[in-house]
Amino acid sequence: MEHGKHVFRIVILVAVILVVVILGRGLLIPKTYGLYGRYRAANVAEQMNARPVLHAGAAACAECHSELAAKRTAGGHRNVSCEICHAPLGAHVLADGSVVKPPIDRSFTLCARCHRKMAARPARFPQVDLDQHVNGPVEGKVCLQCHDPHSPKP
Amino acid sequence: MSDCHDGCNGSRREFLSGTLKLAGGAVVTVIGASALASSSSGPTSAPIPGGGEYDWNEHLWAYLVDTTKCIGCGSCARACKAENAVPDGFFRTWIERYAVGTDDSHVDSPNGGMDGFPPVQVGFVANKSFFVPKICNHCRATPCTQVCPVGASYRTKDGAVLVDADSCIGCGYCVQACPYGSRFIHPATHTASKCTWCYHRITKGLKPACVTVCPTQARQFGDLKKDGDPVRAVVEHDRVQILQGHLLTEPQCYYTHLDKEVR
Repeated sequence: MEHGKHVFRIVILVAVILVVVILGRGLLIPKTYGLYGRYRAANVAEQMNARPVLHAGAAACAECHSELAAKRTAGGHRNVSCEICHAPLGAHVLADGSVVKPPIDRSFTLCARCHRKMAARPARFPQVDLDQHVNGPVEGKVCLQCHDPHSPKP
Repeated sequence: MSDCHDGCNGSRREFLSGTLKLAGGAVVTVIGASALASSSSGPTSAPIPGGGEYDWNEHLWAYLVDTTKCIGCGSCARACKAENAVPDGFFRTWIERYAVGTDDSHVDSPNGGMDGFPPVQVGFVANKSFFVPKICNHCRATPCTQVCPVGASYRTKDGAVLVDADSCIGCGYCVQACPYGSRFIHPATHTASKCTWCYHRITKGLKPACVTVCPTQARQFGDLKKDGDPVRAVVEHDRVQILQGHLLTEPQCYYTHLDKEVR
């Protein structure tokens, strides 16, 4: 059995490769990989809790600011979320319950973002031709001097 | 010894290579079988491991955009940026402005439309102009997950296409593969990033941030597995369009009143 040694070496080599591959797989492949498909299943739960909810919606704002909320719901801005103008609720009421004064954007640009007359906007949407508004050009003027943002009239 | 030298050596070489091939084949078979077993024998009805009470088998999310309602205010893009801490200069959702003439068309999206749109002068007579909100289409047959070499990109059972940042190696194949330009490499983490349909919100019963703030309901979000869902009603009964249907990516973001110029 002069050739037995060669077979033995090959068998040992194959066994070693097998062990290395199995160990390597165990170490390199994440635990939940392949549970539902070719991805790490644990990541789905991680994505669910990836970050805090910042935008809570107008109903959440109404819990404290019911008067303004009612005014908004009755007026032309009824579909304009509070958080568009006042930043997300998550930046106002923090996770620990403390309250930070939210920024109040009174700028012309805020109003112009929606209401500057533009061919691309739907024709039925109320738009302002800034060059011919009431007494001439109003570009850059403070709209809120005349218009109430919570219940705007034309 | 000398006359059998070549023959002996030859047969030994053959023997060695044959044995190694056989062994290699055996290893591949064993690994393949175990990999297949682990991917197919997993529970199919159990909820997400560590995901609490949310059952992803009960939902199939879909997004609906009515382009005629979009006023181009950019509130969606701003909300998305705040909600998901999207880095400056990159967008998970954006708004495009189209101006279409007889022979010419013009598209722009300054800063993703986040700051609204300034007046624009195009060098031709535009017969029509409109806004189109864009977002990841969360395709059913998405090319972005197919090209991922490490299994970092995947589609959940409830229909969201997500990126596992821990597994992503930042190779950018998916960024190249997406025909809609919905992905980017995050400048801080150097991993692929994209719209998740606000997965942290929709799994808590909320709408994505962009839908929550949209003042004209141009953007809607719904559940194709829920009876009476408004988005499901539109997708099932109305004429809906998708972007780049010829690519067969099966987008789950549907459009109504889409123009021929929009890709």
